Amino acid sequence: MNPRKLLRIARWEITKNAGGVDRRTVVVGALALLAVGVAAPYAATSGVTVDSGIYRAGVTNSSDYYPVVAEDPTFAVREPSAALGQDIDLRFDGLAIDGAPTSKAAAAQTELRSSVRAYNNRQMRQEENQSAAFPVQVSLGYAERTQVREVISTSAGQDSTGGEGSANGTQGGGNGTDGEPTARNGTDGTVSGGGGENIGDAASSAGGVGGIAGRLAGGNASGTPADISPPFPFQSLVLAFLFVLPLNFIIQAYGSTMLSERLKRRGELLLVAPVSRFDIIGGKTLPYLSAAVGIAAVIAAALELPAVDPVSVGISVLAVTPIALLFLGATFVGAMFARSFKELTFVTVTVTVSLTTYAFVPAIFTDAGAIALISPLTIIVRNLQGQAIGLGEIAFSLVPPLLTAGVLFTLGAGIYREEDMFTQRSIPLKTLDALAARVRGKWTVGLTTALLIPFVLVAELLGVAVLYMLTLVFPIEISVPMVLVVVVVIEEAAKSLHVYAGYTHRRFGSGLRPALVIGTFSGLGFFLAEKLSLIIQLVGLPQQLPSSQALFATGTGLPTIPLAIGLLLAPLALHVVTAAISAVGASRNKRAYATALVVAMAIHFVYNYAVVSISGLI
Amino acid sequence: MASSDPRVAIARRDLASLSREKTIVLALLIQLFVAAFSSFLVVGLTSLYDPGASASGRVEVGVTGEANESLLRAIEETDSAEATVYRSNATAFQGFQNGAVDAVMIATRQPDSRISIQATAPEGSIRTTLVVVQLREVLQTFERQQRNAREAFLETPPVPLPGEVSASPYFGFTYTILLPLLLFLPPFISGSVAVDAITEEIERGTLDLLRVAPLDLVDIVDGKAAAMAALAPVQALLWIVLLSFNGINVSNVPLLLVTVGAMASIVVVVGVTLGLVMGERRSAQLLYSIGVLGLFASAVFLPEHPATTVAKLAVDSATTTTYVLVVVYVAVAVGLYGLARRYTRGLDVESL
Repeated sequence: MNPRKLLRIARWEITKNAGGVDRRTVVVGALALLAVGVAAPYAATSGVTVDSGIYRAGVTNSSDYYPVVAEDPTFAVREPSAALGQDIDLRFDGLAIDGAPTSKAAAAQTELRSSVRAYNNRQMRQEENQSAAFPVQVSLGYAERTQVREVISTSAGQDSTGGEGSANGTQGGGNGTDGEPTARNGTDGTVSGGGGENIGDAASSAGGVGGIAGRLAGGNASGTPADISPPFPFQSLVLAFLFVLPLNFIIQAYGSTMLSERLKRRGELLLVAPVSRFDIIGGKTLPYLSAAVGIAAVIAAALELPAVDPVSVGISVLAVTPIALLFLGATFVGAMFARSFKELTFVTVTVTVSLTTYAFVPAIFTDAGAIALISPLTIIVRNLQGQAIGLGEIAFSLVPPLLTAGVLFTLGAGIYREEDMFTQRSIPLKTLDALAARVRGKWTVGLTTALLIPFVLVAELLGVAVLYMLTLVFPIEISVPMVLVVVVVIEEAAKSLHVYAGYTHRRFGSGLRPALVIGTFSGLGFFLAEKLSLIIQLVGLPQQLPSSQALFATGTGLPTIPLAIGLLLAPLALHVVTAAISAVGASRNKRAYATALVVAMAIHFVYNYAVVSISGLI
Repeated sequence: MASSDPRVAIARRDLASLSREKTIVLALLIQLFVAAFSSFLVVGLTSLYDPGASASGRVEVGVTGEANESLLRAIEETDSAEATVYRSNATAFQGFQNGAVDAVMIATRQPDSRISIQATAPEGSIRTTLVVVQLREVLQTFERQQRNAREAFLETPPVPLPGEVSASPYFGFTYTILLPLLLFLPPFISGSVAVDAITEEIERGTLDLLRVAPLDLVDIVDGKAAAMAALAPVQALLWIVLLSFNGINVSNVPLLLVTVGAMASIVVVVGVTLGLVMGERRSAQLLYSIGVLGLFASAVFLPEHPATTVAKLAVDSATTTTYVLVVVYVAVAVGLYGLARRYTRGLDVESL
């Protein structure tokens, strides 16, 4: 790669494509953004709620409940004489409440409870005698429990499944055990029903951008019982939106640029120029990456507006960069594969949806520290909360997406050539092309397998994250095998797909022995890379959730097994054997490959299951 | 060709290309993923929050301090919390540390007759959220009891709290978030694809080929727009059917489909016009997505946000405003279509 050439292409990209095109785009875009900018504060201040008026209450203004219902936008006030169940869901007669026998009426009654509480609190604030109105003062603090090992509940609830000791990595911010019994510390005057009961609260808390950083920092709770709110992940949700939303627009433009290179052989001019394809791709990507990073920096700075700390902005930007690269890398591959504009749109939406999901992980698992770190957004959240972030945590959080983005770009670069760009090849063939471009002999096979490890890691972690909830629902006897199946399928595919690609491109000699050699190298590459990733994992995360222990069971063996040598050799043997099996299949034909792959997966599964059983997880 | 209308031919050709590329499958998969994920998010969160949803919902609270008796009554009234009384703060925290209790509450009387509670919850644990939610439940009950005891000192007594009923915690979410999401995603994607359908012909230079056929530009644009606009209500219907399989009743289905159709027409007309004006995908798509976001956001200025309209229709709580808005959406769709048609007619094809 030549930096000067790369920068020149980047400059072309800016002046030719992004800059000079037209001012109309800029003007109309700015107008639309202005509309959003105007609407958002309005929505936040006027308390626009999506659930306004979904429940109908029949109530006259003589009822005690009338002001409660009238002040809550979720309820629509109707005549109590209307037909119950058809025109109204709840009927109030004095203090008696009649509900229709529908699930809607039941939901309305639950909603009414929280409205009554909120209403009472509002009323009490008007009272003269505040000590009678708010007779209870609360201060909530958090303390670590060092002796307790967390038990992930199964249906039985009591069987110890190992697992997370109460997260020493997560230093919950702002633990306010300041038991000062002063009056409500009035952080914000709009405590509506005590946080998080109303869906509308989400909308209203999303509005005040300026206050977010401050609200994140102040995790303590003292005041009346209604002021207590659980560590709710709303801030993570809001942040995910703030940081991820601009990326969606950037990849729109980026995908179009990349695809337009493939139209009417436009990209041919650059391809025949004396520059490498990495210069071209790098140069075309750089402006969009800079835009993404720049916007992230602005957002991060805006979040801490009163006192902007360059170091913490730097950390936020550092954490956003892998996400941005991941978005761009996925879009690049999508643009290389897409056969038409329409298809690119669907690919872009897929990228948006799946990567936003990925960014949302910390919102779901805020409490389970280790899992939340999968997404770099956790680093941002913690950074804004003013917590110290360890290097291990940063590495664990940022390295996998960074490597994945790298692999995506490498794969896309594999088909950044005339044969694939300007012709209508089918997608499976292109996939094989992209993979085959990386393999030449046994060494490159091993290297490619190793390169695919971050993919494997991210896919497995995502799978575990999704399945993690199942451990709450299903007994561990079912959820662990499910995790194992996911792991096995992903790993075996990663070990053999490029081998098969190489065979379809006649990169390797035929016969049993070359196939075995190639399979061995593939397994070896996988083993080494997995060990490397394990080191990162051990540094970053001393304790793991049981499901992720199952995930790494293949590679590590669990520390409870005493046979140290066996621990190292057994997984090596496993990876080599299964990779060799699928390589032999791949050397024959498609059907043989599919059969061999299934056999390899079955062996792998049995091995993993045995390890997990021996280690006493099940 | 069986049909005499060239617009039908164009629409059919565009739909065929979608199904040939199998991208429509991808689109449905995405929507399924979004639906699954948002449900997963809510069900997951609720199971962490809602004591009934997970098996180990019960929270053991260690109680100590001089005012513990009144606090015990509040814990008794709360189903999901159990109390253990400790003599001293030190033993209570010992119990907290060795896991006998999930939380500690120290109740002390204040000089101004208030009761101060110092609550401690485990830090950084999976159960922290659940514990805090339960503590709040206990404390709110406690506050209510104490308020009632002090009623003589209050000008207006608090409104009595209605009894608890078992209700699905997902009810509100299903109708106000999930359903609008599922119904609005198809129009959004349709509009985006409409941008592609136009810009692709222009950028690839195939529009000239189409013009050789006995077709007007207006017919071409009409056909492409109709194909995309018609796709959205079909997908919406699919979702409604799928939801009703899951026991979620959706009322006013025809009106919902009309609303979705109107929304789809609006965004498709916007998309097609942007495609014609810009003539290239990049800026047209960019403007389209920003513009639709702007439209959706500025809809808060309406008396009722479209998402609320859809929710109210589906949950059968529609008001006159709701019906009027549906009519307005249809009128806007028709009006915009008319404007776009006039613009297209006046367009010089050679300039594209």
